Amino acid sequence: MVSTLNPDMAISVAYIIVAPFLGGLIVGLDRKITARMQNRIGPPIIQPFYDLIKLWGKEPFLASSFQPILAMGYFGFIFTGLILLAFRQDLLHIIFTLTLADICLIVAAYNSKSPYSNLGGRRELLSMLSYEPLMVLTAISVQVVTGTFLVKGIFEYGTPLLLLMPAAYVAQQLVLIIDMKKSPYDVAGSGHAHQELVRGVYTEFSGYTLALIELGHWTKLVFILSLISLFWAQNLIIGWALALLLWFIAIVADNIYPRLTWKSMLRTSWVLGFMLILANFIALAIWRVI
Amino acid sequence: MNSEILISVAVILPILAGLILLIAGKGYRKVVVLPTALILAVTSILLMEERGFSWTPDPVIQTVVMGLDLLLLLYFLYVGFHNENVPVIGLTLIQALLVGYFEFTGGGHHGEPIMMVDGLSSILLLVINFIGSLVCIYAIGYMDEHEEHLDLERSRQPRFFLFLLLLLGAMNGLVSSNDVFWLYFFWEITTLCCYELIRHDGTEIANNNALRALWMGLVGGVALLGAIYIGNYALNTLSLATLIESSPSPLLYLAFALMAIAAFTKSAQLPFQSWLLGAMVAPTPVSALLHSSTMVNAGVYLVLRFAPAIQGTLLTYGIALVGIFTFMFTAIVALSQRFSKAILAYSTIGNLGLIIFCASMNTSLSYSAALILLMFHAMSKGLLFLCAGIIENRLHSRNIEDWEGLLAKLPITTGVMIIGIVSMFLPMFGVLLGKWAAVGVASSAPVFPSIVMITMMVIGSSATTLFWAKWLGKLIILPIREHRIKMEKVSIWYSISTLTILGLDIVASLGASYMVQHVVSIAVAPHYELAWSPGLLKLSTQLGSFMIIPLWIAMAAILFAGFLIHRYKGGNIVPAYLAGENVEGDPIAFRSTADTVVDYRVSGMFFDPDITEGKWNPWGTLVGILLNLIVLGLVII
Amino acid sequence: MKTMTKARLKSPWVLHYDCGSCNGCDIEVLAALMPKFDAERFGIVNIGDPKQADILVVTGPANKRNHRVLKNLYDQMPEPKVVLAVGTCAATGGIFHNCPNTLGGVDKVIPVDVYVPGCAARPEQIVDGIVLALKKLEEKSEKKEVAK
Repeated sequence: MVSTLNPDMAISVAYIIVAPFLGGLIVGLDRKITARMQNRIGPPIIQPFYDLIKLWGKEPFLASSFQPILAMGYFGFIFTGLILLAFRQDLLHIIFTLTLADICLIVAAYNSKSPYSNLGGRRELLSMLSYEPLMVLTAISVQVVTGTFLVKGIFEYGTPLLLLMPAAYVAQQLVLIIDMKKSPYDVAGSGHAHQELVRGVYTEFSGYTLALIELGHWTKLVFILSLISLFWAQNLIIGWALALLLWFIAIVADNIYPRLTWKSMLRTSWVLGFMLILANFIALAIWRVI
Repeated sequence: MNSEILISVAVILPILAGLILLIAGKGYRKVVVLPTALILAVTSILLMEERGFSWTPDPVIQTVVMGLDLLLLLYFLYVGFHNENVPVIGLTLIQALLVGYFEFTGGGHHGEPIMMVDGLSSILLLVINFIGSLVCIYAIGYMDEHEEHLDLERSRQPRFFLFLLLLLGAMNGLVSSNDVFWLYFFWEITTLCCYELIRHDGTEIANNNALRALWMGLVGGVALLGAIYIGNYALNTLSLATLIESSPSPLLYLAFALMAIAAFTKSAQLPFQSWLLGAMVAPTPVSALLHSSTMVNAGVYLVLRFAPAIQGTLLTYGIALVGIFTFMFTAIVALSQRFSKAILAYSTIGNLGLIIFCASMNTSLSYSAALILLMFHAMSKGLLFLCAGIIENRLHSRNIEDWEGLLAKLPITTGVMIIGIVSMFLPMFGVLLGKWAAVGVASSAPVFPSIVMITMMVIGSSATTLFWAKWLGKLIILPIREHRIKMEKVSIWYSISTLTILGLDIVASLGASYMVQHVVSIAVAPHYELAWSPGLLKLSTQLGSFMIIPLWIAMAAILFAGFLIHRYKGGNIVPAYLAGENVEGDPIAFRSTADTVVDYRVSGMFFDPDITEGKWNPWGTLVGILLNLIVLGLVII
Repeated sequence: MKTMTKARLKSPWVLHYDCGSCNGCDIEVLAALMPKFDAERFGIVNIGDPKQADILVVTGPANKRNHRVLKNLYDQMPEPKVVLAVGTCAATGGIFHNCPNTLGGVDKVIPVDVYVPGCAARPEQIVDGIVLALKKLEEKSEKKEVAK
């Protein structure tokens, strides 16, 4: 079948290896574009790699003895999700794996002894709760359209999903904004140079544990962009263009909006996001019945 | 011949053991309970091997059963008058009338055969006898600690164990009965045990909650009797199997709808949820037994039993709607709960709602999803209740706000509890396999019910993730003054029970493929084609695949890699960031104005006043009543 | 390992602490990060968390109330780290040097690597100071490498 032929296998493996680095480059590009929007020069695009190597070499300070394993868990489970995605497995199961990774991060934040970290962990949990239902609903929409949860099914389906589920595509913007920790919804710990609760969920991480979290963050970014690119799985170049479009809009939003409250984040994603995807559903249902 | 002995043992042995213990006294608990537990567990395995048999006991026994039932009704009547409780009196009288009328007019014949153990029964038997027995073992240790605080003149434990064991026996009988009257009889015995166990401590609140459980259970009993009447009137039979296999008619659907209502009362679905929450006041083994392995599973068992008969009707969607709405509602209310057992209770009701939803959606995938959820939920929830009980006894507090930093105070118990919580909402364990399948069931349903169900399912599922993760975080918080983890003294009864259930859960999750192929399928096979193709690494259905073992492999790799990195890089544990105002040597204090030392405090997130029981319960109950009426009404369509 | 040193020089994260300053130098420090002077092009990020910072930028004199906090923050920074004392007050106590509550410059409490004089110090000087601090960081990094 489609997914286990040899050339595809090579591409999948290459994709898995390249993904974290690609993520770093995209983050670097993010900072450059943000800088340019702010009329500055900004750091070089490979800056995130310098950051990563520097972090790895810092003297290790731990908040608790579980921290390294939990940080590794965050990166590891996101990487597992990436592998599953590369091998075109079950979308819903992949999303649950992502939840697992996030829980590792949240538990690590709670496990540290600081109040900032504790509150950051709570906010991260609420963030996860804002974007995860949207991802689950999208997966369900995929199942309703293609008949299966398997990513393989999206490739085999014929019509690009964007044409059938445009509202779900729009809802992914929310997912991306919350995951990239961009304003208005960077309540759990912001990107560089924005502070929220000191560093929010990342407060007590330092040195190599923070390096692992950074790696995880990069991988997750590539992961979510890949998911969005599935909206035009028939031509992945167009798919990635769609994904990068949303990514760019997130950067613009970050430069325009202030940070909003977690309640606002929950409300927007649950009411607006949910409504969008459900409306899409109903439209699909009616169109199919007719 | 062999199988008949097995089933008799399963039903009678616990009752006998309980009576012996009542007479012999507290000192003989270990001697009586341990062998009973072992025998029951072994019996359930043997019964699974021998499944597919049926048996009709002697007419003498049938008369005995009828007599016992009347005695039971008399006792309920006494309870009602003694407590001046009108609902109890009224409902018991109705039941007595119905039973009496039935006996004197249509009586004399019975369902043929009376007892039948098929695939579904044997799965339930496994769950009841394994988890139930382990809870009894746990109770041996727990009740001593419990009574320590109460300063009783004479131990009430024999009475406690009598009803605990009686419950096991009655449940065994319930799931093996094909004669609907016997089913009703065992059903009412479980109501009796429920009442007696909830009011065990004898306080006023215990009495009140027990009475509420009693009258709600009696409502179920009346509904069951109604179903029996109608079934007998329509087909002149008392055999459950005949009722299910017969060709459908509105009258028969009415019978099934009434059975559904009975199931709702037993499984505490909306609007009957308050009795289960009230049952919290009972000692923990009661909550563990009632909420995970026995009583509440009677309700879902009944739905699983008659679901195949209502395939393709609107009734089936009506029942599913009650289940999924309960799931959503309880998940949201659980967010606001501060008491450990309340959270667990709401979670149980929600999961039962999910099981009823799956059972009632009536597809091959959903039926097997219901069974998967039933088994794994029983293990995980039982484990959680047991651990919660241990922690409560040690801390003397049920408020999870007081449960901070438990990982350092009670490492072993907290560790087991953490794994228990993880097993409820993370994809390495079977509960999530069931939930994944349930999502597939909701999304592959016909469009218009599907949209409502998907919405409720996603809302419920997100809320459950939130409250479990919240609680997990609480248990893991470390800002306490005791740095070093102390050795925890663990009672042997606690270790045996909790570690065995934990082991079973892990083994079952790892072997989920096997479970689906060999255990779940035996109940699904008679009615549907098996929807799963379980492989070694992943379980596939038409809708997708779920992988458990790869995630465990990933977890092992992560633990290994994390451990290696930690070893290589090292790292000292340093104080937290408190804006530079840390106090030397004290992890939770900081220096405030005038250099005074102040403890910092972060409280939990409980969403009040937006989500409170007081605000939401009336609405839930109202909608619940509405949905139940719809269920009855759908019979006409 | 030259890569590590290069990475450390290319990615210095700053913790900015106001130690009793009049805020004049603080405004200049923040200005150094703004678009006109843009310290971020050197990879400098004002990270608020000592656990993740490499350079501690201090303004204002050390006094009896804040020396403890200063020491605490300095201790919470992992090696390799450098301290940049910005402004005259951080260097010697400046205009406050004889006040009864002042201990003097920041170097009375923690070891300082680079002094940036001025009242207030200019953003160009601050950026210059950071570049000097990076040189010091390089030395420390090399020493650690050899020692490791």
